[in-house]
Amino acid sequence: MLMMVFDVCSHGLLVLVLAPLFVGVIARVKARFAGRTGPSLLQPFFDLRRLFFKNSVYSRTTTWVFRAAPLVVFAAMLALSLLVPLGISRAPAAFTGDILWLAAMLGLARFFMITAALDTGFSMEGMGASREAFFACLGELALFMNFITLALLAHGFSLSGMIGVDAPLSWEHAGPALLLVAASLFIVLLAENCRIPVDDPDTHLELTMIHEVMILEHSGIDLAYMLYGAAVKLLLFAAILVPLVIPFRTGYPPVDMGIFLGGVTGMAVLVGVVESVMARLRLNRVRNFLLIAFVLAFFAFIVGLWRM
Amino acid sequence: MTAWIDASCILIVFFALAMLATHRLIGVIQLFAAQAFVLGFVPFFLHAHDLSGRDITLALGTLVLKAGLVPYILFWAIRRVSMRSEIKPIIGVGASLIFGALLIAGAFWVSLSLKLPGKPLSDLILPCSLATVLLGFMIMVTRTLAVAQVLGYLMMENGIFLFGLSLFDAMPVIMEMGILLDIFVAVFIMAIVVNHINEAFERSPGSNRGKMGESG
Repeated sequence: MLMMVFDVCSHGLLVLVLAPLFVGVIARVKARFAGRTGPSLLQPFFDLRRLFFKNSVYSRTTTWVFRAAPLVVFAAMLALSLLVPLGISRAPAAFTGDILWLAAMLGLARFFMITAALDTGFSMEGMGASREAFFACLGELALFMNFITLALLAHGFSLSGMIGVDAPLSWEHAGPALLLVAASLFIVLLAENCRIPVDDPDTHLELTMIHEVMILEHSGIDLAYMLYGAAVKLLLFAAILVPLVIPFRTGYPPVDMGIFLGGVTGMAVLVGVVESVMARLRLNRVRNFLLIAFVLAFFAFIVGLWRM
Repeated sequence: MTAWIDASCILIVFFALAMLATHRLIGVIQLFAAQAFVLGFVPFFLHAHDLSGRDITLALGTLVLKAGLVPYILFWAIRRVSMRSEIKPIIGVGASLIFGALLIAGAFWVSLSLKLPGKPLSDLILPCSLATVLLGFMIMVTRTLAVAQVLGYLMMENGIFLFGLSLFDAMPVIMEMGILLDIFVAVFIMAIVVNHINEAFERSPGSNRGKMGESG
């Protein structure tokens, strides 16, 4: 029992420390691309600390939904993090079929975020909410197709069985399908976390924003929870993707952890590079972008079946 | 080497799908060049242990002609006629992607019952080549722009080339080179045809009608 509590705590701590760092690495890479030195890697921590010490301001049109949303989002992301193995740190709450739970937590967080955005009665937030809901539908389709393919390859319905430290998928056996799954999941990562080809996290033009416009009305500690939740989500997607791309294990825990952390850093750099070299897609093309993710996942599924 | 062949096959179909999803003509040509580039390396992977002059000729021929010269000619053609860069497909990009997925599934399904003589190194070559042919055909019939149709045709040929590679030992190299040359000539002729079409469009009845309407 004590061991379990320790596991959960250490895993959670790892997530909470790595998530802002991940965002910091992306910001640094983007700054380097733009020819600037960029903020410190710890800048997201400072921002979060500043926000955590501030009070929130609430509009009179909002109800309890608006106040509950940040906590629900943050809590859902933490619950989700218990299912995702991080390097040698095994997922504390893994069980058969936890990929469904993962999707459910994502859905719960999204539901509250969208309802809170609608709760403000601000038309721009409503637009953001509508876009988020639409793109999330398509993203979820691709995500599930990927999970089905991975379940097929790994002969199991637990995320830990697919990407865990004990039972990694091997590229020699399932290489072609994994190649496609990795590409598809990367698109889903960019879309789910509102990174550049889909949504620009730096823009503050209400007409084009998706995620940022939905948290416009949140302030102070509420905003901190929202931002922290988004950072954790980004990290978890990277943590799912990295073991697929680098599936080998040496057997020495420190080396494996190093490989994992290196992979996560590489993923942050990759996201930063994509954000720097690509332009935002026109809003009506985001749909096609997500459809590509789905078709790639479907293709991976067929290749997986073919090789069975 | 089988892993490399597998990866090449997957990449070739991936580029085909990307071509199906691309809106800009320049992007489609670049994707085609990338696809031909990957295709050019497949003969190397197929006979990695005993590379013969035939493999090298075939690979180099593919790389130079398809990944170099053909895209160059197409770029030249669209620059010369300053064509519109947006591809307007008959059915939308989203729908064509879904159809593309179905075509890939169909290609794999057909390959299940297709027994070819000889033992190919990778079992992905056959379904992926069929998928590329079908996707190329799809591009050919759903695009309205002549150059895009040319690209669809070229992609189909890429698929046939991959198919031929799986039967490589049974196919004389002269025939392969003949196909390559055919394609080269075809692109050349199509570039000329496209030029003429575009010049003809400038004096098309449609534009005249507009002027007549104004005067009348």
